[in-house]
Amino acid sequence: MWETVAQAVINGLLIGGIYALVSIGVTLIFGVVKIVNFAQGEFVMIGMYISFFLSSQFGIDPLASLLVTMPVLFVMGVLVQHFLIRRVLGPNDMPQIFLTFALSLLLLNLALMLFTANYRTVHTSYSDEAFHIAGLYIPVAKLIAFVVAMLLSGALWVFLHTTDLGKAMRAAAQNRDVATLMGINPNRVFCVALGIALALAGAAGSLLMPFYSAYPFVGQVFVLMAFVAVVLGTLGNVMGALIASLMMGIAESLGIQYVGADSGLIVVFAMLLLTLAFKPTGLGGGRVR
Amino acid sequence: MRGSKAWNGLWLTVLAVIVLALPLVVKSSFAIDIFIRILLFSFIGVAWNLMGGYAKQLSLGHAAYFGLGAYTSTILQIDFGISPWIGMIAGGVVAMTASLPIGWLCFRLRGPYFTIATIATAQALMLIFLKFRDLAWGAEGTTIPNLGSAPWMMQFETKAAYYYVALGLLVLGLVITWRIERSWMGYYLVAIGEDEDAAEAIGVNAPRIKRDIYLISSFLTALAGTFYIQYIYFIDPPTAFSFNISIEAALVSIVGGIGTLWGPVIGTILLETTSTLLQSWLGGSIGGVQLTVYSLILMAVILWRPTGLMGMMREAYQRYISRKPARA
Repeated sequence: MWETVAQAVINGLLIGGIYALVSIGVTLIFGVVKIVNFAQGEFVMIGMYISFFLSSQFGIDPLASLLVTMPVLFVMGVLVQHFLIRRVLGPNDMPQIFLTFALSLLLLNLALMLFTANYRTVHTSYSDEAFHIAGLYIPVAKLIAFVVAMLLSGALWVFLHTTDLGKAMRAAAQNRDVATLMGINPNRVFCVALGIALALAGAAGSLLMPFYSAYPFVGQVFVLMAFVAVVLGTLGNVMGALIASLMMGIAESLGIQYVGADSGLIVVFAMLLLTLAFKPTGLGGGRVR
Repeated sequence: MRGSKAWNGLWLTVLAVIVLALPLVVKSSFAIDIFIRILLFSFIGVAWNLMGGYAKQLSLGHAAYFGLGAYTSTILQIDFGISPWIGMIAGGVVAMTASLPIGWLCFRLRGPYFTIATIATAQALMLIFLKFRDLAWGAEGTTIPNLGSAPWMMQFETKAAYYYVALGLLVLGLVITWRIERSWMGYYLVAIGEDEDAAEAIGVNAPRIKRDIYLISSFLTALAGTFYIQYIYFIDPPTAFSFNISIEAALVSIVGGIGTLWGPVIGTILLETTSTLLQSWLGGSIGGVQLTVYSLILMAVILWRPTGLMGMMREAYQRYISRKPARA
């Protein structure tokens, strides 16, 4: 009995690491730039396709392709901020919401046109390997993904708390006007925030590739999880998003185990609705925007 | 800014004659089909625009009410033999009832997170209809029994009849919008859309106004759901709760001119015409082309003309016809 529960918790925790990379990106952008990036899931998808093509064309391992996806996605983030998002920052919600939403639609449908709706998979030497510890089954690919995700999250935390740029970013998140008065260039900080957020999404894509299929709609799965995790973990709170993502992974996995195979999303929506009904400020407290 | 009342009356009369005579002149059922789509999506856009355009409550979950309207009338028709004309109203009432708890939850969030919450509720409703077969045919869906010519069951022999029903819906939506625009409620909605906190500070009961406009918007959207299912004779959860319905409702309003009476109509004419041309050029063979083009149009509007086509037409009118300097 406890083994089934423990197994479900482990499965959830491992996939929760991937959710964390996506939701940390969403919450970082929200915290610093004060917009919601509806296209975050599509950048996971782009990361997956980059890893897929590097693997199928040049035989590069998806984990090694992290070194390509993260810089490429970082540059994309800077470009998206500089050429698109910068132009709609202001008190009005409509352009911000629908600009990133349009970007999401655009990337998704371009992928559909270029790569068709087919599922693409990469098979690595460790795709079928697993550890067996105390009757529990731990797939190697998922474990690697989880560990790398946690390392990247930790690196981000260190960056935000020790470097000047990281501190500038947190300052801009707390009070943009005062930060600007203190000599912080907001556009530069925003570009870096978008770059980091998209690099994390790209990393999630590469880490997923050894055990998950790439297809144009794949990002939608992860972005929905991320949005719920970001509300649950209090908007703009990086640590909150990390913890909430791991919880969501576990809740989803328990839902699949005890309610039914296709009930993962229902659990997610139930969590969102419960959060909204009882604690709309999220677990971390604070103010609703 | 506009011409005199007499001119407005003349324009409306000319427009009415053209629109009413269109199915008598155009006999191609392909063309009538496109006209029906334009009327229907204009109507959905008008319903969305009441809440999303005037009060700036940017929902991307209106498929929830479209689907509830569609399922209510279909269940009443197939299981109880009740006419979809009555089912349509019943669907509207069901949608209104559902909008109360959904609004209660979603209005706790503002801005983009309100939008996300509305997406989630529509998706959750679709999952419920997919999963519970006892509720309504589950994932397989069902076809609507074809009775031939049965106007009292909302089934007609000619497409022209469907055209007039869709036209009636659109006129209803436009008249309601026109009345609200000129009432105290319209001003309250715009005040909430501009700045909700400021509106509340001067005594606008924002939660009540938002609830009321959500009731009206969801009722109208549900009517569209019933009509659409009766028109295509088939229902399943992905059709009735299609995310594309939610997207298109918002898209036509924004492209046409958010928060304007005619914006959704003009936006739909542009987008549906574009989509039809694309289909005839490419033969509809490549998936994703239509939405790629839609998203590019949406981006262009947001970046360069946030007031949409209505704003562009107003500027052009001021520059070339009335010769007054355009407002900054």
